Amino acid sequence: MNRPLLIVSLLVAAGLATLPWLGSDTMIQFGINALLLATLAQSWNILGGFTGYVSFGNSVFYGLGTYGTAIAMTNYNLPFGVGLAIGAVVAMIAALLVGLPILRLRGPYFAIATLGLNGAMMAIFSNLPIAGSNIGLVLPLTRNDAMFYELALGLLVACSLTVLWISRARFGMGLIAVREDEDAAGSMGVNATRYKVAALVMASFFTAIAGGIHAYWSTFVDPASAFDSTLNVRMVISVVFGGPGTVLGPVIGSFILSTVYEVLASQISTAAALLFGVVIVLAVIFMPKGLADILRSRRNLTWRYFIRNIRENRL
Amino acid sequence: MVLAQILLNGILLGGLYGLMALGMALVWGVLNIVNLSHGALIMLGGYVVYYLFTIGGIDPFVALPIAMLVMFAVGFLLQYYLLNLVVRSKMLNTLLITFGLDVVLTYLAQLTFSADFRTINPPYAGANFALFGLTVPSVRLAAFVVAIVLAAALWFLLHRMALGRAIRATAQNLVAARLYGVNPSVLYAVTFGIGTALAGAAGGLYGMIANLTPYIGASLTAKSFVIAIIGGLSNPFYVIFGGIFVGIAESLTALYIGPTYSDVISFGLLVVVLVLRPNRTLRTS
Repeated sequence: MNRPLLIVSLLVAAGLATLPWLGSDTMIQFGINALLLATLAQSWNILGGFTGYVSFGNSVFYGLGTYGTAIAMTNYNLPFGVGLAIGAVVAMIAALLVGLPILRLRGPYFAIATLGLNGAMMAIFSNLPIAGSNIGLVLPLTRNDAMFYELALGLLVACSLTVLWISRARFGMGLIAVREDEDAAGSMGVNATRYKVAALVMASFFTAIAGGIHAYWSTFVDPASAFDSTLNVRMVISVVFGGPGTVLGPVIGSFILSTVYEVLASQISTAAALLFGVVIVLAVIFMPKGLADILRSRRNLTWRYFIRNIRENRL
Repeated sequence: MVLAQILLNGILLGGLYGLMALGMALVWGVLNIVNLSHGALIMLGGYVVYYLFTIGGIDPFVALPIAMLVMFAVGFLLQYYLLNLVVRSKMLNTLLITFGLDVVLTYLAQLTFSADFRTINPPYAGANFALFGLTVPSVRLAAFVVAIVLAAALWFLLHRMALGRAIRATAQNLVAARLYGVNPSVLYAVTFGIGTALAGAAGGLYGMIANLTPYIGASLTAKSFVIAIIGGLSNPFYVIFGGIFVGIAESLTALYIGPTYSDVISFGLLVVVLVLRPNRTLRTS
């Protein structure tokens, strides 16, 4: 990402910050959802985009952030900020505990190991009295959508700046090296497991904060909504569609998909979910490097670009 | 006595689990695709048998081979026209595309079959008999037998027939197999079709034992994966043993810890197995 693009992005972010004074209530609410989803996609990108390790378990950190905040605020009457911090710390510890054994696994082993995480967590939280078991928890009501909007926007900016830093730092180079050739990276002195775990812990931090903000905003938490596996689907799609391993791709991808989803969901919700699946399938076939790559090579973009992508990968 | 009964239930259920994993192990071993839509294909097979039974009035065990044929066609077409397009790219991409396929199949199923719980309920569904003081549910025993028979059939196909030799050759060396006259796109499609047919049979049996909904796919994929890893990809019977192992572990967990945790245990087993034997080579068809 070059300097002009960075300045434009920051200006767009500043422009988005004025929405609560200009937009309607519905727009602000849509904005909060879209910004939180973009944050989730961006944090998924830290591990999934840079190292190529597909995680289907990131929604677990979202759920832990949700529950951390909810438990702190309802059971112990702690302020929102403390709740967020507790949720984030719990999620990071979980990322460490989960990551250390299963990030030693390569590629598909890791991906499928994470498939079971969500269900396991849901089973545990459904039986946890402190988390309200199956019924869930009700948080104190705060009607201040503008605050939640600005919080979500701030979080997305912070997360994107982190990804920008990663894309330039030695740490990010290490992650990309792991994606391209893990053995070669190891022989160059990159401790692959440590890099991957660090990436997962960073992702879990932002994911958990997003969960905490959503919990306080929606004032209700239960196992089904906190550990919602479709959330993971949306993270993956946004990143794959937008461009894995890029800074702006996941954000743009998730904004586009959120808008499309919102329009479709008002018609039929199943069709919207179906569309997501179709988008993944088509994106993998025609544009495996994402929207970002198309925008980058827009000058000589013809139908040949898509044909070339197929020709490279077909049998 | 309770323990013996629990073990028996675990073994019978485990045979079915093994059958679920059989197709996934075959596709993984030969095509090097970890098929995340495998569970959704099991679900689809279950619905095929369900409709053959409720609308067509065909006995579910007779409907199984029909469902397997239907699912073979589905799998063949999927691989030939869709997955062959990405099969050479990085594993990340094949993971993602089969994941997208899983989402598509799940919601298509929700649209066409609705989200209601369905059970394949033949008149003999509740039948059982006593053996050495244990209760043996007839349908579960039959499902177990079908699983063993299909594993044996797959072993016979792979090791005693020309098609199986071609499949094994392709798994070992695609280029060399091509030089000997194997057409890889057709062979891949046939292999995926066989895997899908096995998934279809597993789905039909699953529908007689548990509830079918469009959403069972993801957990069945995870379970099949665990079993494929425990059993390895080299021999169909090892996969069945892997299934029995997981079935027993689940039944014991349900008895001693609590039924809600029986899904957690297969995840725990997976982590333990992977961490203890991380470098186990799976591709040894």
